[in-house]
Amino acid sequence: MSQAHARTDRSPAWRQLLSRYGLWLVFAALLAIASLLSDRFLTVPNFLNIARQTSVNALLAFGMTAVILKGGIDLSVGSILAVVGVIAVFLDQAGVPFVGTVLLSLAAGGLIGSLNGVMVAYGKIAPFIVTLAALTIWRGVTLVLTDGSPLSKLSPAFQAFGNVSPLGVPSPVWLALSALLATWFLLRRTGWGRGIYALGSSEDAARFAGLPVDRLKVSVYAFSGLMSALAALLLTSRLNSAQPTAGSGFELDAIAAVVVGGTSLAGGRGGVIGTLLGALIIGVLNNAMNLLDVNAFYQQIVKGLVIVGALLFERFLSSRSA
Amino acid sequence: MTALYEVSPPTQPTSSHPPVLHMTDIVKRFGPVEVLHGVHLEVRAGEVHALLGENGAGKSTLMKILAGVQPATSGELRLGGEAVRFRSVADAARHGVRMLFQELSLAPDLSAEENLYLGDMSPLISDRELRDQAAAHLHSLGLDLPLGVPVRTLSVGERQMLAIARALVGEPRVLVFDEPTAPLTAPEIEKLFEFIAQIRGRGVAVVYISHHLGEVFRIADRVTVLRDGRNIATSDVASTTQQQIIEWMVGRHVEVQSRVQPVSGDPVWQIEARPTGASPLHLELRAGEVIGLVGIVGSGRGAALRSLVGIGGESLWNGQPVLSLEDALRRGIGILPEDRKAEGAVLDGTIRENIALSSLPAVSRAGVVQSGPERQLVQQWIEQLHIRPAQPEYLTGALSGGNQQKVVLGRVLAAQPKVLILEEPTRGVDIGAREEIYEVIAGLAAAGLPIILSSGDAQEVLGLATRILVFRGGEVVSELHAPVTLEEVIAHVTGARTH
Repeated sequence: MSQAHARTDRSPAWRQLLSRYGLWLVFAALLAIASLLSDRFLTVPNFLNIARQTSVNALLAFGMTAVILKGGIDLSVGSILAVVGVIAVFLDQAGVPFVGTVLLSLAAGGLIGSLNGVMVAYGKIAPFIVTLAALTIWRGVTLVLTDGSPLSKLSPAFQAFGNVSPLGVPSPVWLALSALLATWFLLRRTGWGRGIYALGSSEDAARFAGLPVDRLKVSVYAFSGLMSALAALLLTSRLNSAQPTAGSGFELDAIAAVVVGGTSLAGGRGGVIGTLLGALIIGVLNNAMNLLDVNAFYQQIVKGLVIVGALLFERFLSSRSA
Repeated sequence: MTALYEVSPPTQPTSSHPPVLHMTDIVKRFGPVEVLHGVHLEVRAGEVHALLGENGAGKSTLMKILAGVQPATSGELRLGGEAVRFRSVADAARHGVRMLFQELSLAPDLSAEENLYLGDMSPLISDRELRDQAAAHLHSLGLDLPLGVPVRTLSVGERQMLAIARALVGEPRVLVFDEPTAPLTAPEIEKLFEFIAQIRGRGVAVVYISHHLGEVFRIADRVTVLRDGRNIATSDVASTTQQQIIEWMVGRHVEVQSRVQPVSGDPVWQIEARPTGASPLHLELRAGEVIGLVGIVGSGRGAALRSLVGIGGESLWNGQPVLSLEDALRRGIGILPEDRKAEGAVLDGTIRENIALSSLPAVSRAGVVQSGPERQLVQQWIEQLHIRPAQPEYLTGALSGGNQQKVVLGRVLAAQPKVLILEEPTRGVDIGAREEIYEVIAGLAAAGLPIILSSGDAQEVLGLATRILVFRGGEVVSELHAPVTLEEVIAHVTGARTH
């Protein structure tokens, strides 16, 4: 439903194009500037590196996109990532075959996420509060389970999971691309996705259309939990251990990717392709600043400014064309 | 004709008082549509002036102009002889014109005294001073309201008194009441009337909008009737009758022919509605029958209707419970909700996405929407309902009101309901689209679909319904059968006639 507005306005064609592809322009400009400033930027290994570094955030952001489209927010993705990482290592160390570890971890992530959804849908608590509570609860559970220290020693299959490169492309990139396609398909081609968009646009209208609003809410948080679990498996394998502080603060990068990607925080408008761009913009920015040896303290400031700038730019485009 | 209230004309003659408010030649246009065609209104100090008219007659528009909510397109407004032009509600209030809107506009978590002086509170006033000041003000009005507790803990009647007391803080010259008794109980209404009499005694000019003619005869001195944005009559209440006023409101010779033929046969639906906290309602619906529900705001019409689909109550349809809108859809009950923008249409969605929204399982395979069948379904309803533009990918939020309503109707009908509930089906819809929607409704009834039609527009109900249920005071007070005249319906709705 995000692309719809361009079809109805009467502004000049270049305006419509710009408002539709403005985010790509931002991305292209960023690439151009980074290439000019560093000769190490525009290389295949560096691009694969960016893709790999972006993949964990992208996975979380895809789940977050569905939640925000529904008109909610999920602050607990980082903590769910941490606790599922611990569960996965426990399973792995208990000798469960790696396929079983993957399936059980995903199930755990989905289940934990659905608890958020139950509190939102049936407990009628604001998503911000529910997932803020979940953020501290699952971080606490992680610290209890690990006693505050990392769990290492993974099985060879688990170690390989995030570190192989089939056809020369790192496995995290394959995983993120698959998740992108799956999320896009779910949101754009299924009745579930239609329900999410309708619900985010107007909950009352969704109810009057007879949609199973409460179950949709539960499922969307379960979906986000599932994506967090996938990110957990990836990160645990990459770090060769489950860290008690893993994923801390990741919810902010995920939300930033969604918002920079043009999805409305009010729900109902946006999509996962935009989120991919948003995640890439943030990823490229991080990478370029590292290559340029920008002081880590300044990096945070620049990142924040770019997020606000990208949003202002989009607002400027859409307000002129509306 | 039996009056609901005893008719007792006010004892104090008010004609001696000078007029405080003159509205002359007021014209209001919304875009190309003119809704007020040069309306006059003159209100004297110390009188209660009833402003009457059918829905859409222009009462609310006129009062919004008076209260500074919206400017007039042309015309003159004089207050105490001085020409004024209000830029905002606050501006009108500064000139001494206050309006009490139907929705009480109090801050529910603040106390009575804080609400009283909200906006003109001195920043350094202590709680004690504020309370003393409030107590003195309320005492001068003869009101006893609890102070120091959030106003949401007060009864509806107390909140209404508080809202009036707040309007009186600035010693207004003109006070407008819009349907003030709708949410009140009988004793609260009595109290309100005493209070209004007292306000009048202070020399305030009161404009009183109501659909209850009985109320008007009890408290008003004069009455002005509007119809279709024009003055029809202004009269002393003492020298007119309820019959006369109804004729003014509806016009003398109103012939409304129902487009739907009365039906016979056995009922196909036995419906039991149980709105929470109101009396239950039993309905029988025959195939092809259109039942009309009429009644003013607060009459119980809306509550009964919504309990039919599990909102604010529950219902049994042929013995099957309906507790939610999901249940309703599953049982083949389609509902077109009254608030098109908030409840009806998904404004961020395209025409296609809206029309298919209640029929997704029918056009999906394993949860995946099949674009062929979906497009076919959507195309069918775009054509059948003449939705313009006929482009499935057009954004619903960018459509005209009439076309948005057709999209919502298309969504409801695409799900192939076995019974249809229509709630204010043409509110905010232009005349052309309105006629088209009426044709569609009549066509559906002719094809055998049973329909429940609830509307504040009695003429609309008359034009479609074969049987009319009249709501007043929370329950159905009469059942009318077509053919019936608009005057009769209005007489029942306003309580001028009770059987």
